[in-house]
Amino acid sequence: MTEWIHPGVVIFLGAFLIPWIKWRTVRLAYLLLLPLIGLTLLLLMSSGYFGQIPAWPGALHKWQIPFLDYSLELGRIDKMTMVFAYIYLIAAFCMNLYALGVKNKWEHVAAMIYLGSSLGAIFAGDLFTLFFWLEIMSWAPVFLIWFRGTRKAMGAAIRYVLWHHFSGACILAGVVIHLYHTGSIELTRLPWGWGGEYLGYNLMLLGFIINSATTPFHSWLSDTYSEATPSGSIYMTAFTTKTAIYCLIRTFPGVELLMWLGAIQAVFALFLAVLENDGRRLCSYHIISQIGYMVAGVGIGTEMAINGAISHALCHIIYNALLYMGAGCVLVVVGTAKFHELGGLYKYMPISFWLYMVGGFSISGFPLFNGFISKVMTIEAAELIHNAPIYLLLEGATVGTFLHTGLKLPWNMWLQGRDEPPPNIRAKLKDSALNTPVHMLIGMSILAFLCIFMGVYPKILYDHLPYPVEFIPFTTTRVFSIMQMFIFTFLGFWFLRKLVAGYPTYTLDTDWPFRMAGRKLIWFCEEPLMGFARFMDRKVMEVVDLIVWISKNPAAAFEIKKKEMLLAGHQRRLAKSGSIDLCRQSLEEEKRKYPGELPGLTLGASIILILFSFLLYLALYLFAIP
Amino acid sequence: MMSFLRQYPKRFFWVAFFIGLAVSLVLDVLWLRSDILHYHFPFQYVPQFFAIFGLLGCMLLILIAKGMGYFISKDEDYYEKDSRRQV
Repeated sequence: MTEWIHPGVVIFLGAFLIPWIKWRTVRLAYLLLLPLIGLTLLLLMSSGYFGQIPAWPGALHKWQIPFLDYSLELGRIDKMTMVFAYIYLIAAFCMNLYALGVKNKWEHVAAMIYLGSSLGAIFAGDLFTLFFWLEIMSWAPVFLIWFRGTRKAMGAAIRYVLWHHFSGACILAGVVIHLYHTGSIELTRLPWGWGGEYLGYNLMLLGFIINSATTPFHSWLSDTYSEATPSGSIYMTAFTTKTAIYCLIRTFPGVELLMWLGAIQAVFALFLAVLENDGRRLCSYHIISQIGYMVAGVGIGTEMAINGAISHALCHIIYNALLYMGAGCVLVVVGTAKFHELGGLYKYMPISFWLYMVGGFSISGFPLFNGFISKVMTIEAAELIHNAPIYLLLEGATVGTFLHTGLKLPWNMWLQGRDEPPPNIRAKLKDSALNTPVHMLIGMSILAFLCIFMGVYPKILYDHLPYPVEFIPFTTTRVFSIMQMFIFTFLGFWFLRKLVAGYPTYTLDTDWPFRMAGRKLIWFCEEPLMGFARFMDRKVMEVVDLIVWISKNPAAAFEIKKKEMLLAGHQRRLAKSGSIDLCRQSLEEEKRKYPGELPGLTLGASIILILFSFLLYLALYLFAIP
Repeated sequence: MMSFLRQYPKRFFWVAFFIGLAVSLVLDVLWLRSDILHYHFPFQYVPQFFAIFGLLGCMLLILIAKGMGYFISKDEDYYEKDSRRQV
C-alpha cells in the first residue's frame, strides 16, 4: 500500500503544462493522455492498491490536511465517488478526442482545469474543500464560453459567472452558518426544513439548486451552453450540473421540495424546447429536463431513487455529450445550428446523424439504450411511493423528450423531408458523405458504443451503484408501455410536424426578470445617478472657481461682489433715475481690470498674518481633533 | 427484404410503423385480459392508456407551448436591440 495520488490534482496541475508543449502532435497526445492517467489511478484505487474501499457508506480517507482548527480532506473515496469519477474520466477522454481539432490551446487548458476541479469536488470529504473546488469550477468554463469570441458569448459568460458566484456565496454562507452552529465541516447528510434555524441549510440548498440548474434557476444553462465553443460546450454539459447533483445526493437526500421541483422542471423545460430554434439550445433544455429526473430522484430519497438519480446522472453525461457533439458537428461543419437555416444534411453527414440518433434514443429511454435502464429506475421509485402526480410528470417528460431529441431535432437539422440542404449551406459542404472531421466521429462512436453497451448490459453500471440493486429494467410491462407510448408520440409529431419547425425567434425564460432588472439598474446608474453626479460636480467646481477668483485679490473681489449686490438690490430705483447703464459699465470695467494691482503688505503685517494662521492650526490641533 | 429497404426506405419505415402500431393496440387488449401487465396505479389499467398518453401528451405539449409562444417568443435580438453601447 502506498500513498494515494489524487487524480483531480494530477489533471488540474497537468493542464498547465499543455501550453508549454511546442509540438502540436505531442500536445494533442498529452491531452488524450491526461484522462487516461486519471483512469489508471482509478483502476489502481479499485484494485485496492491504495487500500481497500469499504462497503457503502464507509469510505477511505486520504490526504487529510490540518488547516487552522480543522482537518481538510481532499480524498474521500467510496462507491459513489468512484462511479462518478470513472464516468467523468471516460467521458472526458471522448470529449478530448472530439476537441482535437481546436486550434486554441488555451481552450484545452480551460477544459482540463475544469475536469480536474470537478474531480476535486467529487473527491472532497469536507465542505471547505468542496467549496474551493466548486469555485474553480465556476471560473474554468467561463473561458470555454469566451473563446467563442462573439459578442453574445461575452455577455453569456458574464451572466454565467454572476449566477455561479451568487450560488457560491450562498453555499459559503450556508457552510459558515452550519460551522458556527455545529462546529463540523464534514460533507454529510444535512437536516432541512422551513424556518430560521434552517437558514444555513436553505442557503446551501439554494446554491446547489442554482448549480444544478433546477427550476426556476435553470435559465443560465440554456443561455450559456448554447453560446460556448462547439467543443467547449460539451465539457460544460457534463460536469457542473452533475457535480451539483452529486452534492445534493450527499447533503440533501429525501427533501420533498426537490421531488416536486424536479418533476415540474422535467416537463416545464420541454414546453420551452418546443419553441426553440437553435439545436444546441434545444439540447440545453433537455439537459434541464433530464436533471429534473435526477433532482426528483434525490427528492424521493429511497434507496432505489438515489440509485436511479446516480445512474441517470452518469448515463446522462454520456448520451448528452453525444447529443451535443451531434449538434456541434453541424455547427462546426456548416457554421450554424439554427433549424430554419438547415435541413437535408443527411446525404452529407449520415454518420454523425446516426451517432446522434443513438444519443436521441438513449435520452428518450428506448429499451436497450442507456437512458432506459436509468430513467425507469427513478420512475419506478415514484411508482413505489404511490405518488401519481410525480409519476405522470416524469412519464410525460419521457414523451416530450422523445418528441424533441428523437424527432424534432433530427428532423429539422438533417431531414425536413428534402434531399438537399439550402444552397448557402450546400456551398459549405464537400461532395462526399464524410464532412465531419474523423476525430469527432471517433469520439462520438465511443460514447455511442457506451450508450448501447450500458443499455444492453446494465449490470456493469448497477454493480457500481452505492446501494444494492435488485431491479430488472426489462420487464414486459415496462418495455411494452414505453414502446406503445413512443409509437403514438411519433404519430402526434407527424400530425403537427409543421408546428415544430424552426422559426427565427428567441424564447424568453425565467431569467427575464433578472435581465430586465439588471438593465434597469444599469439605466438608473447611467442616467439619473450619473446626472446627479455631474450636477454635483459642476456645482462644486463653480465654488472652487469662485474661491480661486477671490483669493487673487480678496479686497477688490469683495468690492466687486458688494457692488453687484447693491446693483441688484437697487435695480428699479437706478433704472428710474437712468443711471443704471453707467453703473453697469463701471462694474464691467472693474471686473475686466481684476485682479488689478495687488495691495502691498508691510513685512510686519505679513508676519502677523502668518502667526495668526499658525495660531489657528494650534487651536485646531488642540481642540478640534480629539 | 434488404433490397426493398434500400430501394424504398421511406415506404419501409411507414409499413413497419403501422404494423408496430397495430400490434401494440392488439397486444394491449390481449395482455390486459390475460394479466401479463403489472402496473402500480389503477389508471394505468385503462385500455390503451399509454397510447392515449403518448398521443395526447405529445399534441398537447406542442399546442400549449405554441400558445405560450404567443407571449414569450421574441425577435432573435430581443436582448441586444435596445442596448445602446456597441462593442
